[in-house]
Amino acid sequence: MNPDPRPTSVRPMHPMHRDLRLTAVGRRYGIRGPWVLRGVDLAVAPGTLTRIEGANGTGKSTLLRLLARLDAPTEGRITGRPRTAYVPERFPSALPFTAAGYLTHLGTVHGLSRADAARRAAEWLERFGAGAYAGTPLTRLSKGSSQKVAVAQALLGDPELLVLDEAWTGLDTAAREELERAVAERTAAGGAVVFVDHDPGRLAGMPDATYTVLDGGLRARTDGGSPPAGPVTVVVVRGAPGGPLPPEAVRIALSTEETGPGGHRLTVPVSRSDVLLRTLLTARPPWHVERVEPAGAPPPDPGSRP
Amino acid sequence: MTALLRYQADLLLRSQRWLPPVILYAVFLGVGVQSGQPVLNSLGYTAAALLPVAAWLVRVCVTGEPPAARACVAAARGPARAHLACLLTALLAAVLLGVAATVVVTLISTPVSDGHRVHIAPLRAAAAGLPVVLACASLGAAVGALTSHPVLRSTGRAVPALLLGTLLAVVSAGSPAQAAISGLVTGSRTGRAHIALLPPTVAALCTAAAFAAAAWLAGRRSP
Repeated sequence: MNPDPRPTSVRPMHPMHRDLRLTAVGRRYGIRGPWVLRGVDLAVAPGTLTRIEGANGTGKSTLLRLLARLDAPTEGRITGRPRTAYVPERFPSALPFTAAGYLTHLGTVHGLSRADAARRAAEWLERFGAGAYAGTPLTRLSKGSSQKVAVAQALLGDPELLVLDEAWTGLDTAAREELERAVAERTAAGGAVVFVDHDPGRLAGMPDATYTVLDGGLRARTDGGSPPAGPVTVVVVRGAPGGPLPPEAVRIALSTEETGPGGHRLTVPVSRSDVLLRTLLTARPPWHVERVEPAGAPPPDPGSRP
Repeated sequence: MTALLRYQADLLLRSQRWLPPVILYAVFLGVGVQSGQPVLNSLGYTAAALLPVAAWLVRVCVTGEPPAARACVAAARGPARAHLACLLTALLAAVLLGVAATVVVTLISTPVSDGHRVHIAPLRAAAAGLPVVLACASLGAAVGALTSHPVLRSTGRAVPALLLGTLLAVVSAGSPAQAAISGLVTGSRTGRAHIALLPPTVAALCTAAAFAAAAWLAGRRSP
């Protein structure tokens, strides 16, 4: 089915051997329906964050459904089948499970053992501040809490490709920030993330690529994609003199600067600072973190969470 | 696949949407089967009544999962496999129901042929009846799979098609279910409980084809 089993040359540590690739993809509904998308070429590489923009009804959701392989293209082809998780725009409450029961089922569907699935379900609910609702039937959850379940469902299997269709909508502030951190962790761990969100400031400065869906086609947005529009954090670290920074850390950071023998200053978006610190502290040999401080825009409490 | 089946089975059980078809089956049997009647005749009725119930169970399973929840599962395992798990769960439920009904009907019926002429051992009768019940369960599931999402997407067309499909599967000559049922009825008349394996095999093949087609289509048609 996949004529494209490329050897894993990019990142030997990470499991996604095949990147997802759309070639001249078109989709329309019905035999004579209008084309929703046409001539779309897109590659989603491991470890990248991709943002899809576009006005309402332009086909963003259709594109995400194609990426998640929920839907097949009318023309063109899609290759690569990473382990995928999908967060729908609106999560239904009409399921006869408790939050923890549903997540345990979904965890096993994502390939975890039952015990692992139950443990990770509890962990993710806790992370999104919904730990108290673990035993609550989904039918009795508020819209925001259901959305937390929807997001937890996608994250608990450590997917190689995470597709988020306005996943932030309905979440409270703390959960929104948590989801941004989770996305940063996923990309740092070598997973690909594709998202649509109405908020232009969402994960600002982080996407490796931004595309706009316009008139059924897909355009790469090159302007203003990379400068850090969001708040950034400065991390000062020290390692063995002359030793290079871990390549992973360099990739996560917006900029790095050598301050002396073994000393480095890294600038990183706030949402990625946790991931950067983890990378540095778990590197071999480990790096000593001297200082974490806000920079640029006024972030009150970088690096830690409320 | 085990995880998917467990999820679907739990969904079916907890949703309680299995109740109406099961009650319908109980009513069918309550009306058509009375204790003390010749066993093969009653088993034939038991099997025939199961066919529409199996089709309805498939419809219950396919329509029971909200589209967004279905998308979450389909992203993880592919839409085809997710849909197949849904169909298999319904088939399994129908088979369990049929086996339970076969046991009960065998126990309460009189082990004789029509007119009480020939004795038929209850075990032999059950062995002859079970393949017929299985043929009806699987053919009913096939009709259900071909008359619900993603093959027929509007309820207005799907429900009449389901009713017509089950009727044709029970009565039309050439249907494996009809052949199996009439085999039992003939056996009840002659007093020979013949274990026929051809109809259930043909029914199983039909079901495999119907399930494969529906699952394939699930990956190509958006909701």
